[in-house]
Amino acid sequence: MKKLLLTLAMGTSLLASPVMAQEKLKIGATVYGLNAEFMQIWTSALQQHPAVKAGEVEVTIFDGRYDALVQQEQFNTMITQKYDAILIVPMDVEAAAAPVQAAVDAGIPVVGSNARVNSEVLTAYVGSNDVEAGELEAKAVLDKMGCKGNVVILEGPIGQSGQIQRLEGNQKALAACPDVKVLEQQTGNWSRAEAQTLMENWLTSHPGQINGVIGQNDEMALGAIEAIKAANLKVEDFAIAGVDGVTDAINAVKEGQMASILQDANAQAQGALDIAIKAVKKDYEPQSEIWKQYPQMEWKDGTGKDYLVPWTPVTTENADKLLEARSKL
Amino acid sequence: MSDVNGKPAEGLMGSERRRLLIQEYGIFIAFLILVVVLSVSNPYFLTAGNISNVLLQTSINGVLAIGMTFVILTRGIDLSVGSVVALAGIVSASFATTSATAAVSGAPYPVFVPIAVGLAVGVACGGVVGAIVSRFAVPAFVATLGMLSAARGLTLIYGNGRPVPALVPEFRWIGTGNILGIPLPVVILAIVFAVSWWVLTRTRFGRYIYAVGGNPHAAKTSGINVTRIRFSVYVISGALAGLAGMILSARTGSALPQAGIAYELDAIAAVVIGGTSLAGGVGRVTGTLIGALIIGVMNNGLDLMGIQSYYQQILKGALIVGAVMLDQKRNQDA
Repeated sequence: MKKLLLTLAMGTSLLASPVMAQEKLKIGATVYGLNAEFMQIWTSALQQHPAVKAGEVEVTIFDGRYDALVQQEQFNTMITQKYDAILIVPMDVEAAAAPVQAAVDAGIPVVGSNARVNSEVLTAYVGSNDVEAGELEAKAVLDKMGCKGNVVILEGPIGQSGQIQRLEGNQKALAACPDVKVLEQQTGNWSRAEAQTLMENWLTSHPGQINGVIGQNDEMALGAIEAIKAANLKVEDFAIAGVDGVTDAINAVKEGQMASILQDANAQAQGALDIAIKAVKKDYEPQSEIWKQYPQMEWKDGTGKDYLVPWTPVTTENADKLLEARSKL
Repeated sequence: MSDVNGKPAEGLMGSERRRLLIQEYGIFIAFLILVVVLSVSNPYFLTAGNISNVLLQTSINGVLAIGMTFVILTRGIDLSVGSVVALAGIVSASFATTSATAAVSGAPYPVFVPIAVGLAVGVACGGVVGAIVSRFAVPAFVATLGMLSAARGLTLIYGNGRPVPALVPEFRWIGTGNILGIPLPVVILAIVFAVSWWVLTRTRFGRYIYAVGGNPHAAKTSGINVTRIRFSVYVISGALAGLAGMILSARTGSALPQAGIAYELDAIAAVVIGGTSLAGGVGRVTGTLIGALIIGVMNNGLDLMGIQSYYQQILKGALIVGAVMLDQKRNQDA
């Protein structure tokens, strides 16, 4: 946070100086909000990008404060201050389309990351396929249940792209197990505390009937685990999965309590930045390690439209390695 | 002052008396009706396990709402409690974690240290707000709105925007333990309620709180130190928010920086549903407890019946407005 504020302060002081005698690229990133772990990792990954560390690029982060309108105003700021390129992690699929168009009209390339924008004019999108995540996590739950029994689904805020797409994936996996019944399906708003309350109440209204919990993110799956423990039930008797690979979830996987798949914030951030730099400097070669890390995600000379960062299932074997990599960001 | 204990005036005729009784105890009657309806419509509602769940789910809001009652009785409001929950939760957790990255040096400390730290954070936030409201005559709405924002920012800076995981079992016991089968958060709520009830109804300090809220000028002329009373209620609310923050992180197992968002609204709702007047001077902590229970029972019952949470929000909205309409009518009649 302090680093962020500093970058923000430095960004503005540089703008104040009348002469800018350097060819440092100025790239702005507006993210939907900085209150949760995932976006914190995303932003620090950006600052760790080799081009930023070498001083070739200066990145300024704008906190969208969970408000699509705030992000729109930040776009206007970046346009008037003539940023070279913009990265966006949108609050809303639709609301972000207009500011993206305005930036492109002003000749500034925009690269999307982590969440989709419904726009044709994005240079590219670097993110992970949420439908795939929903399918993978639901499959982990159903496999543990042997394709039999009852599940509950803890959904994200209804209408957010993550909720819509992960649910689509959940349903795809559920279709393969027609004997499995969905007992309850409610939004826990990505929140651990809300999901905990829901699960407590469901364990009461469906005593001994719930076999699996599909949490559309890790936080909610962790809330369900707490509710199960509080009800003096055995966590091992439930098949539980979440998505994202947050630190607590990696630890829970290590203890055999749940399954999770890691969404690689580092690759999403650094990949988007490489593409944004390429869009401005035609002779640029990507500098992030991620292109070597995920050979299946091809660089395509920075001209691709969709760069899908693969999901990494968290396992007892790779948990410690993932935690170590996390501690560096 | 005759309204302090909320007793209807004696010596009224039968029908008039009955009408007053319904108004006075309307919220309690509404609560009973809600319980009966839910018991009939859902076989699991009135089971021991579920009653324990409802009380557990009410404990955090109950503690916050009791603190809020003190403030509202003096014509104030405390919008900062949700953010103070998060700040106290995360700061205390950093003294009670085994996580190498999130801990303060030397952690985990014996459990009384994080508890003392959490309470101190709450008292400090309440003290700042209390001083601003009582000494600088800044409206409570503004002062606590400032704290709502500032405490959230401090939370994010302190935790670097990340959760504090891996809390030691002794600390988690605050949220997950039980005494004689009663969940500890419920025991805490019961103690907070009992002490607050005693303070408000049986002590001079309590009477002064009603006096300051009822008529600050009269209270001042009769020699009450209005500044000190106003200051104290925010400290009480802050301390209870600190306590609630620790219960929350102990329950969820991690202190999360986005914890407690909009908790102030549920706390205010419980106070208002419980019949405490936003105009100050009138209200009871018993009503607040029932108000918090109504919200808890309603959310629980609708979950049990598998009804979307969106409907719960509509019902809560209707309940808040309905309770205030009842309150207004009571004031007109009085």
